[in-house]
Amino acid sequence: MKTSPPRWATRLLYLVCAPNRIDELEDDLNELFYERIESVGLRQARWRYIKDVLSLVRPSLVRPSLVRPSLLRPSLLRPSLIKRQESFYPKQTSMTMLRNYLKIAFRNLTKNKAYSAINITGLSIGMACSLLIGLWVLDEFNVNKGYKDGDRIYFIRLTDGISTSEIMPGPLAAALKKDIPAVEKVTKFTVWSNDFLLNAGQQSSKKTGIYATEDFFDIFQYPVLQGNPSLAIQLPNSIIITRNTAQTLFGRIDAVGQTLRLNNDKYYRIGAVIDNVPANLSVQFDWIVNFTVSEEDWMKTWGSRSFLTYVKLKPNTTQSQAEASMKGILKRYIPDNKEIPVLQPIGDTYLYGNYINGKPMGGRISYVQTFTLVGLLILLIACVNFMNLSTARSAKRAKEVGVRKVVGASRWALAGQFFGESILLNLVAAIVAVLLVISLLPGVNQVVDKHLSIDLLSPMIWFYLVILVGVTSLLAGIYPALFLSAMQPAKVLKGVFAKVSAGATFRKSLVVFQFSLSLFFIIGMLIIGRQMAYIRTKQLGLDRQNIIHLPVEGELRGKMETLRQELQRSNAIRSVTTVGELPIQIGSTTSLNWPGKDAKRDGSVTTMKVGLDFAKTLDIQFVAGHDFGPADTMNCIVNESTVRMMNLKNPVGTEINKGHIIGVVRDFHTSSFHDPIRPLLLTYYPKWTNDFLIKTSPGKMTEALTIIEQLTHQLNPGYPFTYHFLDETYEKLYRSETLVNRLINFFGVLAILISCLGLFGLATFSAEQRTKEIGVRKVLGASVSSIVALLSKDFLKLVLLAIVIASPIAWYAMTKWLQNFTYKIDIEWWMFMLASLLAVGIALLTVGFQSIKTALINPIKSLRSE
Amino acid sequence: MKGTYLGEFEEVVLLAVAIRSGDAYGAAIVTEIEQQMSRSVNLGAVHSALNRLAEKGLVTSALGGVTTERGGRRKRLYSVTAAGQRALQEVRQLRNQMWEAIPNTAWS
Repeated sequence: MKTSPPRWATRLLYLVCAPNRIDELEDDLNELFYERIESVGLRQARWRYIKDVLSLVRPSLVRPSLVRPSLLRPSLLRPSLIKRQESFYPKQTSMTMLRNYLKIAFRNLTKNKAYSAINITGLSIGMACSLLIGLWVLDEFNVNKGYKDGDRIYFIRLTDGISTSEIMPGPLAAALKKDIPAVEKVTKFTVWSNDFLLNAGQQSSKKTGIYATEDFFDIFQYPVLQGNPSLAIQLPNSIIITRNTAQTLFGRIDAVGQTLRLNNDKYYRIGAVIDNVPANLSVQFDWIVNFTVSEEDWMKTWGSRSFLTYVKLKPNTTQSQAEASMKGILKRYIPDNKEIPVLQPIGDTYLYGNYINGKPMGGRISYVQTFTLVGLLILLIACVNFMNLSTARSAKRAKEVGVRKVVGASRWALAGQFFGESILLNLVAAIVAVLLVISLLPGVNQVVDKHLSIDLLSPMIWFYLVILVGVTSLLAGIYPALFLSAMQPAKVLKGVFAKVSAGATFRKSLVVFQFSLSLFFIIGMLIIGRQMAYIRTKQLGLDRQNIIHLPVEGELRGKMETLRQELQRSNAIRSVTTVGELPIQIGSTTSLNWPGKDAKRDGSVTTMKVGLDFAKTLDIQFVAGHDFGPADTMNCIVNESTVRMMNLKNPVGTEINKGHIIGVVRDFHTSSFHDPIRPLLLTYYPKWTNDFLIKTSPGKMTEALTIIEQLTHQLNPGYPFTYHFLDETYEKLYRSETLVNRLINFFGVLAILISCLGLFGLATFSAEQRTKEIGVRKVLGASVSSIVALLSKDFLKLVLLAIVIASPIAWYAMTKWLQNFTYKIDIEWWMFMLASLLAVGIALLTVGFQSIKTALINPIKSLRSE
Repeated sequence: MKGTYLGEFEEVVLLAVAIRSGDAYGAAIVTEIEQQMSRSVNLGAVHSALNRLAEKGLVTSALGGVTTERGGRRKRLYSVTAAGQRALQEVRQLRNQMWEAIPNTAWS
């Protein structure tokens, strides 16, 4: 048996221990080892040897400390040995120098508290902004990405090469499944969802749900809590509910087998309970019932469209293969139809929902990109502050650099030092930023209507933070590091360098850059704000003020006429009408036929089913003809756009789809301002009523509401009183615009704030530099105002330059944005004037404070020291 | 300089250095402690205690002469400084003082 210690342990010793100690330690180990063979045996000795080596791996022994070179007596050593040992000694300098760098960085931070505060505030606000935007962007990208087999689920649109519709005819789903082999599953459900009352014993609650076809749960797979949703949806008397719904109604989640009553009408058995639908999926519901229960005859025709349709393709089928195979499907069922289906992967539907000429052309993604850019720009502005202040103040540190260089620092060591300082500052800023984000998140979530959270345990966040700090440190530190480290010690120490002009051009261009961005934000804020105000106040062609809309539900359906008549008796209510769908929710279209129609035209119009007094209640003007009377069930009213489309001279009386046109109304807006007013057909069909529209007399809103509440309570007990205001419903059309408006205001203000911080720092610095000059000027008789002008002038020039640069860019970007709207404001010159004045004003305020302060200093104080 | 507080193990090591004075190097100290206290001691613990003692100024070290025993390599020999001696005495005195403060009734 070998009597040597384990070799790997010896190697470990060589690997980790301080080279100057190894000889000594190895000797100790060997001595103990051979002693122990005698006393406790070889096995024990080897074991103890390993334990000893492991115990030697500790910081105090890995790091050199004990040996002081003075203790070596050179006379005792052979020269060759000294040399060998010296080269093996660890370099102490790096540790010591690092410590020194840290100390100097810290001293610099505390010495100039104002500058440090400006830097850290600016950087942390910038970082907080970009973190928040990052969280938001990440969340946007995750929408609709959570589906199992999501790469095989596609959303279907129809396009004729010009316009693209996402609303499908009812029979298309079944046809796709039958005719197209590539399609494995298809489901459809109506564009609108149903806000119904659910009743179970004593508990009742209003929940939103959809009627979907059998394949629904084979396409959208949700975590199941109980039961089998795929089977349950096959049965017409089953309902599938979510965890929340089960909790509200039954107080527990294992509710399968219980019954509930839907809409005070039919009873359903709970077939399955699934988990809540995550907020970041587009298809949202609280309950689902088999589609056939709600199917109406018109839903079975190809002519009317009101469905969203999703397909799941067979594995290994590509999108283009599937699209190619379904090309002719519409023509097969509707002769003369030129539309072809286009597919979009479900993951893309949220961000790339806009189709132009049948091709996906962005959509919400443009907002995501814009805000990513905004986040980066704000961060950049904050970095610029840092760069600016540190280069401006470089003169003060030039001496330090000079001395370091003379003593032997290399250029790269100096660059490293300045980068290190930048990293240190950025780390502090990052910590502040994370704290800011945590405290701001609840408010931000309310604004963006999301549930964002910052999870400090997830590696993603840390990765992001490290990247953030790394990039900002690099950006903020690169100029000072390269600029300061390149200075020549001889000149610096002679004092040649100590001029203000060092890096002045660079600094000026940075200020111009910052202010261009701020100006861009100001112009954006102005124009977006104006467009939003325009949207809120523009005449729609119908009066949306003082109109209450009330859903028809429960027993109210049988008593609609009673309610209408009762309501009209009150003098708080001016007029009442019923509609099949609200003006902004119209989704259905139909194809018109009229004598003399060009056979090639499809004559598609949006349709809206209304009751009596529709035009009167909404204050819609007639161009010709009159409103519906009780006998007009076959007749219709059209808008001006329809008349133009049909190319009619005397529209009233024209025969149309078996009836006659009895009136023409002025065009009114039914959708958002993004879309033009489309041809519209109003039909008198009071049976199909889903909402009451009630116009109150001016100033009698409260009275009217009391009356309505009493009446609905009387006629429809068991249902809570729910109502909405039409003008608010219209505003909801512009959710994302409102969001953009708010965000641009928020970030615009922040960007300006950060820029001002930087400008303030620079102004302070330049005032400090010129104290003596100003003292001399004052002694020679300069007035305070001339000195303020002198100090402000330089900065104003930069702001003016920024105006020249930013205005055209802002004009271009805003024109692009406004192009999204069919109805929009004009960009006018005064907007740029106002923005420029604001920018100049802000800059003057920032600089002026410092200038005045400097100008007021008594020259005795500033000149005394020389 | 760190605080001069003497830990229990540091005290033991310091005593071992004193016992072996003139020939106190790492392995010898380990053997000494193991023999005196009949407990096993890690070499790493001893060396780091020696480092700490050196930082506190209680021991100094010097490289000894070349001996055949170690294949011509020199040992680092530790010796107790005056401060170390004082520290040991203080500890002992403190102990004694506390022993004397124990009332007679405590053991009965």
